[in-house]
Amino acid sequence: MINWNNFLVFAIPTILSWVLASVIFTFSKKNKLGLFFSIFGLFIFGSFIVLLWVNLGRPPMRTMGETRLLYSFFLVATGLLSYLKWRYKWLVSYSLVMAMVFVFINILKPEIHSKNLMPALQSIWFVPHVTAYILSYSILGAATIVGVKQLFQFNKKEDAELMDFTDNLVYIGFGLLMLGMLMGAVWAKAAWGHYWSWDPKETWAFITAAAYLFYIHLRLSNKYRKIALWYLVFAFIMLMITWKGVNYLPSAKNSIHVYTD
Amino acid sequence: MINKSTLLTLSQQGVFFKTSLPTFLIVKMNLIQQNKKPIWQTPWQYSESIFIVLGIYLVGVALQLFLGTFKFSNIVWPVNIIVGLTSLVFVVLLSLKRKSHFFYWLSAAPLSISLIALLIMQTIIMGLTPQISGQLTERPDVFDILGFTRMTSSWPFVLTMFFTIIALCAAIVNRLKTPIWKDYAFYLNHVGLLVFLFAAGYGAADMKRYVMYVEVGNEIPEWRVYNDKKDVLDLPLAIKLNDFVLEEYAPKLAIIHRETGKAIPYEAPVYFQIDSLKLRTSIGDWDIEVHEFIAEAMRESDKSYRKVPMPGACPAANVTVINKKNKQKYTGWVSCGNFAQLYMPLTLTNDYSLVMTRPEAKRFASYVDVITASGQQESAVIEVNKPFTVESWNIYQYGYDTDTGKASSYSSFELVYDPWINLVYAGIFIFSIGCFCMFWIGNNKRRKGKND
Ligand code: HEM
Repeated sequence: MINWNNFLVFAIPTILSWVLASVIFTFSKKNKLGLFFSIFGLFIFGSFIVLLWVNLGRPPMRTMGETRLLYSFFLVATGLLSYLKWRYKWLVSYSLVMAMVFVFINILKPEIHSKNLMPALQSIWFVPHVTAYILSYSILGAATIVGVKQLFQFNKKEDAELMDFTDNLVYIGFGLLMLGMLMGAVWAKAAWGHYWSWDPKETWAFITAAAYLFYIHLRLSNKYRKIALWYLVFAFIMLMITWKGVNYLPSAKNSIHVYTD
Repeated sequence: MINKSTLLTLSQQGVFFKTSLPTFLIVKMNLIQQNKKPIWQTPWQYSESIFIVLGIYLVGVALQLFLGTFKFSNIVWPVNIIVGLTSLVFVVLLSLKRKSHFFYWLSAAPLSISLIALLIMQTIIMGLTPQISGQLTERPDVFDILGFTRMTSSWPFVLTMFFTIIALCAAIVNRLKTPIWKDYAFYLNHVGLLVFLFAAGYGAADMKRYVMYVEVGNEIPEWRVYNDKKDVLDLPLAIKLNDFVLEEYAPKLAIIHRETGKAIPYEAPVYFQIDSLKLRTSIGDWDIEVHEFIAEAMRESDKSYRKVPMPGACPAANVTVINKKNKQKYTGWVSCGNFAQLYMPLTLTNDYSLVMTRPEAKRFASYVDVITASGQQESAVIEVNKPFTVESWNIYQYGYDTDTGKASSYSSFELVYDPWINLVYAGIFIFSIGCFCMFWIGNNKRRKGKND
């Protein structure tokens, strides 16, 4: 049976193939080989998630460590998918490196996992709600990377295509973010009697959504590109606070959304 | 004379697409006179929007100082529908006025963006300040007075939401004047959000939430409820609780430091879930084997336990713990105890004990009869995530006496009356379809100049 004790067995080959892939993407033109190693690593990593899921008897989406697993997975998956469409090699490398950081955190600070789901979490909305959020976080993470790259080269060689790519990622990420939120609302109605109760995590989720809404509307005109890009970094910080930071805020002592470790 | 750069500027500002062509030309003629337009000269853009939005905020602060927090009870039906529809009609009428600069400003991005920014700022303050509900404290501090500690019912927040709904309305009405069906995503997102905000915002006042505590097996149905101020009220709805069941997960075992109570290993404590399939584990330097697990046990006169399924029974396990280093062996019963029985640790050394944690609830359900004023009686099983609906009331499983757990003598229900809920769901539904469209529409409008 696969549990967290076996994580290293999967994590090490994953990291090796992802390091190899990043090196190949960065220093050579053998893109197919790079792609192969990225996918190979993703496959091993994905197997761990699936086996862990089977062993836990529930989707691995409850604790910080588990959401980090999914985050790494989807980050690389997004990087690869966007490579197939946009052919940005550096984006794959970035997403691989980002994903590996999370894998390392899980190696160094694995978190203990309760097998038990409290009754409120036993709902058909649980899986789609969390998946949509995690997926959207990975895509918005990718958007931030692309945006920052654009920002750094802004005065030298600004890239209109890159700007469009950023926007498209934000659109997709935001769509998922809102879907996650709406499913959460429908679920909350069934579980707690109200679809929105301004619980601290909900408040920050609102801030995150509003922040990306701001970006989307600011980008309707092409005028304030640089402000928009800086702003994207701010939006991502809001996202990180929603995801990780809320647990530490004094306002969140009684939040129903705080992860149990 | 139309020069190219003015056109470009205008189209970059989105003016071209928001206005019909004649208006666009008038606006443009205005602009041709001077390159940089002084503030307050039409068409209004960001500066004006930011000023006005700040004005809205200050008005809100003033109202907050003079009137205290906003009372949603003041806008109960039919006040809310009157205010809501009036503002909607106002927007539509404004849109019919030809060449209204004011309407174009109201429906354009700069105002929306400024309003969203103001919402973000207020919600960030809200996210950092612990929120309180109910009455104002005895000695309010600055945060209380400004409404930061009950943000969603502070005047500035309510006003910002009010104007956001109006701006959203204006954006939709403006686009509907000359619908472009290619922009289906715009319509779905904005209309869905509008319906949602309308129903959730204006409807908030009409929602009633009460808690009812019902005793198990009491032949007289309960109809008294508590509101959030703990006042007792009578409802035209009664509940009889025939049975309350609680299922629990098996408890977990942990080795704790006897003085601090901290589980080992300190950096990543291990809680071993007792499971019929897995009866051995090791924690730190200790091997643990579970010989027998009884979910409902009573303690015997010695330190052993026996299966007795009755109220007051608690889980217990017979375990052997072996120290890997010195092969010392400890065998005995552990139990987490409950309201009726003491807990039982297995002492290992001076420093460490093996203990059992209290089991977590897996499912709890109430078997009820619901009786309405019209004399209708229905039986139902109500549990978390499975509410029961009767005559615009939703009945939710709320809680039970966690101290006595399975033996809880009562079950509590939350009764929610929300006449707007279907409109809220309609909004959520339309909005979700719009969100799906976000995946493939992209920001692909080629209306923007490539570079400035
Ligand atoms: C607070 C609520 C909102 C307000 C006040 C608002 C306002 C506006 C305005 C004024 C425009 C420009 C319309 C025009 O150019 O004629 C616009 C465009 C747009 N908005 Fe919103 N909006 C809001 C919420 C949303 C949401 C929740 C989404 C996405 C899910 C969204 C996505 C868009 C998109 C994609 C466009 C561009 C449409 C297009 O060019 O076809 N907006 N919005």
